Amino acid sequence: MGELFLEARNISKAYEGVQALDNVGLSLGKGSIHCLVGENGSGKSTLIKIIGGVVTSDAGEIVIDGGHFHHLSAIESIREGIQIIYQDLSLFPNLTVAENISLNQMVERRTQVVDWKEIRAIAERALVELGEEIDLNILVEDLSVARKQVVAIGRALTQNAKLIIMDEPTSAITREEVDHLFEVIHRLKAKGIGTLFVSHKLNEVFEIAETVTVLRDGRKVGDYDASDLTNDKLTFLMTGETIEYHPYTVDSQVVSEPPVLEVRNLTRKDEYTDVSFSVRRGEILGITGLIGSGRTEVALSVCGLNQPHSGEILVESEPVTIGSPRKANQLGISYLPEDRLTQGLFQHQSIGDNTVIAILRRLLSKLGLIDWTEKTRVQDHWVNELAIKTPSAEVSASSLSGGNQQRVVLAKWLATEPKVFFLDGPTIGIDIGSKSNIHEIIRELARKGMAIVMISDEIEEVRNNCNRILIMRKGRIAGEIEDPTSVDDAEIFRQISGKNGSEVPRT
Amino acid sequence: MNRLKKLLGHNETYLGAVIVVFALIITIVNPAFIKLDNLFGLMKSSSGTAILAIGFLLVLLTGDVDVSAPAIAISAQYIAVNTLIAIDSNSLLLAFVIAIVVGLVYGAINAFFITTFKLPALIVTLGTANLFHGGLLEFVGTKAVNTGQLPDAFKVFGHASIFDLTRADGSSYGLSIFIAVVAVLLLVTWLILRFTLMGRGIYAIGGDAESARRAGFNIKRIQYFIYMYVGLLAGIMGILHISLIRYGNPNYIVDTELLRVIAAVVLGGAVITGGKGTLVGTILGVTMITILEKNLVLIGLSSYWQQFFVGLIIVVGVALTHIQATLRSHHKVVVIKSQ
Ligand SMILES: Nc1ncnc2c1ncn2[C@@H]1O[C@H](COP(=O)(O)OP(=O)(O)OP(=O)(O)O)[C@@H](O)[C@H]1O
Ligand SMILES: [Mg+2]
Repeated sequence: MGELFLEARNISKAYEGVQALDNVGLSLGKGSIHCLVGENGSGKSTLIKIIGGVVTSDAGEIVIDGGHFHHLSAIESIREGIQIIYQDLSLFPNLTVAENISLNQMVERRTQVVDWKEIRAIAERALVELGEEIDLNILVEDLSVARKQVVAIGRALTQNAKLIIMDEPTSAITREEVDHLFEVIHRLKAKGIGTLFVSHKLNEVFEIAETVTVLRDGRKVGDYDASDLTNDKLTFLMTGETIEYHPYTVDSQVVSEPPVLEVRNLTRKDEYTDVSFSVRRGEILGITGLIGSGRTEVALSVCGLNQPHSGEILVESEPVTIGSPRKANQLGISYLPEDRLTQGLFQHQSIGDNTVIAILRRLLSKLGLIDWTEKTRVQDHWVNELAIKTPSAEVSASSLSGGNQQRVVLAKWLATEPKVFFLDGPTIGIDIGSKSNIHEIIRELARKGMAIVMISDEIEEVRNNCNRILIMRKGRIAGEIEDPTSVDDAEIFRQISGKNGSEVPRT
Repeated sequence: MNRLKKLLGHNETYLGAVIVVFALIITIVNPAFIKLDNLFGLMKSSSGTAILAIGFLLVLLTGDVDVSAPAIAISAQYIAVNTLIAIDSNSLLLAFVIAIVVGLVYGAINAFFITTFKLPALIVTLGTANLFHGGLLEFVGTKAVNTGQLPDAFKVFGHASIFDLTRADGSSYGLSIFIAVVAVLLLVTWLILRFTLMGRGIYAIGGDAESARRAGFNIKRIQYFIYMYVGLLAGIMGILHISLIRYGNPNYIVDTELLRVIAAVVLGGAVITGGKGTLVGTILGVTMITILEKNLVLIGLSSYWQQFFVGLIIVVGVALTHIQATLRSHHKVVVIKSQ
């Protein structure tokens, strides 16, 4: 491994009811590229927060460059050269892109007087490094998740770090941006700057990692040379099981004419043009395409969040106007948003409350009061169904790991049992073991007669789960795949990017 | 074009427009309103509110609420004046020093409870406001300081002006020195908010306190700064107040100022959840409240309407910021696309 930069020794951390970390050790070499993997709730983020000095461990010590720390503070960690891209990004929504990128650096350097020209210059440099263009004056709260991730990455890169830790930095960004990021990581390595990378996308792990550390249930399984691992082996190390995929086939009994939802010539200026498609009961329709291809925008329009300029929407053959999400709900259309942690979760409410918030009406007893037995039943059902890792449904959502928070939002919308369900990135941030579990739940809903529209970047995900796939490119429907089993990932990728070359998809 | 668009995106622009329209209406009903001597008078009498509003804004930017400033102001004032009387001093400077020291100490007490016990400032300051005021009445006194007892320095200060103008009848009027005090405090606060890391930290905490902590901001230090700064402002306000009305009563300010200050800051577009708000907005808010309060009688409404309107402004102001936030999130999609 070469010379050590950081060592976490015998780290333990317990939260009420959960042993998040149990005697875990981690050694990071100078300039090494190290991946940390494990299922949702296995303790990755907790370990990272301890290294970042924002959570104090119960036992153990951190050794950085020979210096020993029992109680590391955030600023000490930063001054020791550790930069972290947190899973929740830790940005300031009310500040501009420029300030978000530069502010932390000013804190580190003990700047007292702020030079606004410098703030812009630092931010510009960071974005150039990443090959990105974002308006520096825009407020971060107005950015999409993908852009927010880019800002968070840019921020970590501008500082004089010796180690950059990235906790799922790629969950929302596209392939192209991931490529840029990986180039940067290699460039940093050449300068002796190491990276600790967390991702649930194993293909990314294999692409970048030299060493892989696996955590399971707060314990360390082991350190492995990336070259000694295969996809199946790594999955097994993380989960203790092997996972197989079967393509989804529609039950022709359930798929019935006419379509539940039909969209005709939908257009919204500058976003998408002339989009037509329909979906029937029992179908899982995939929509894929690059970010900016218009896929999310179309879904938002159908769900009442983004008014189309022209075109028609028909629900059960009746033309409808969907002016608000409320209207969409009344028509039986639900939408699982892409940006779940800010748009979908009440952090300080309990898991149970988050789960039933959208179906409270259904939980009312004859007297018009909430039926608590029923509420408990529903929330426990979803905690079990989605295997949400928590001691109880009554604890607040903020105590969950990132992936488990994602599940709560998923549960909230699944519980509404809509007729048409739009899922935007249904398994973002969900570990490999649970992905198939969630896919199975989605399939089951379809089998029972729900019409599902699955929007996803992950070609494999749509190919394995959809009986039909629409491909969007530059705001138009560029192709339709009637039988996903007949094409391979490379073909789909070719259609998405509109390139003719035989570039290998790495999604 | 771009500049116009930017201007139209600001709360302050609309509030400014409303003030202008409102002023025009009042001028039509009562042409004396727009006379310079009236405007100068309004500015002078609202300067105390403006100073407290600056402090309130600072705390609100971090997403907290400090309701103890009026209690600090009256305590600082009353202690300072009584000390001067007791030692038979006529030094305005000494009065300011005492008031400011009291303000800083009380502010530090607030900060101590807020940072040590990690309590919301609203809860802490509700408690300390009564503590400070109750302590004042119990340990310092309840007697009013009448004009005759008041050291001359205050009266001189209350009458001092930056420049004087002459009316048609030969009498003169001036722009009070208070305006200079407010202007300096505004400038200093603006510089702090805009150009110091402390100031940016205040915005950062309001945006996301946990992120600010992770970035390495010393939250405790920032909070001490904010609450002591509020105390300092309250101390200054206390001296201005007694110099204006030339009469000291330990029950003044506490009952009257708080709601007005909250209304002004909220009206100025500061968001109650923190992170957003400007000094310009706050000053416009103070202006609006002042015009409203002083002129309702002119339009033929009883003074009970005052209270009603201040309440209405708080409710409407809060609702408006909420509606705006909703509208923003609806527009988000467009922004994502147009990058
Ligand atoms: N603040 C907290 N309070 C209570 N429990 C917590 C808290 N933070 C984390 N936990 C618990 O600690 C365990 C580990 O969480 P952690 O966030 O480290 O998981 P993770 O490996 O990052 O998972 P993911 O892949 O979902 O992000 C989880 O069971 C989680 O519920
Ligand atoms: Mg995590």
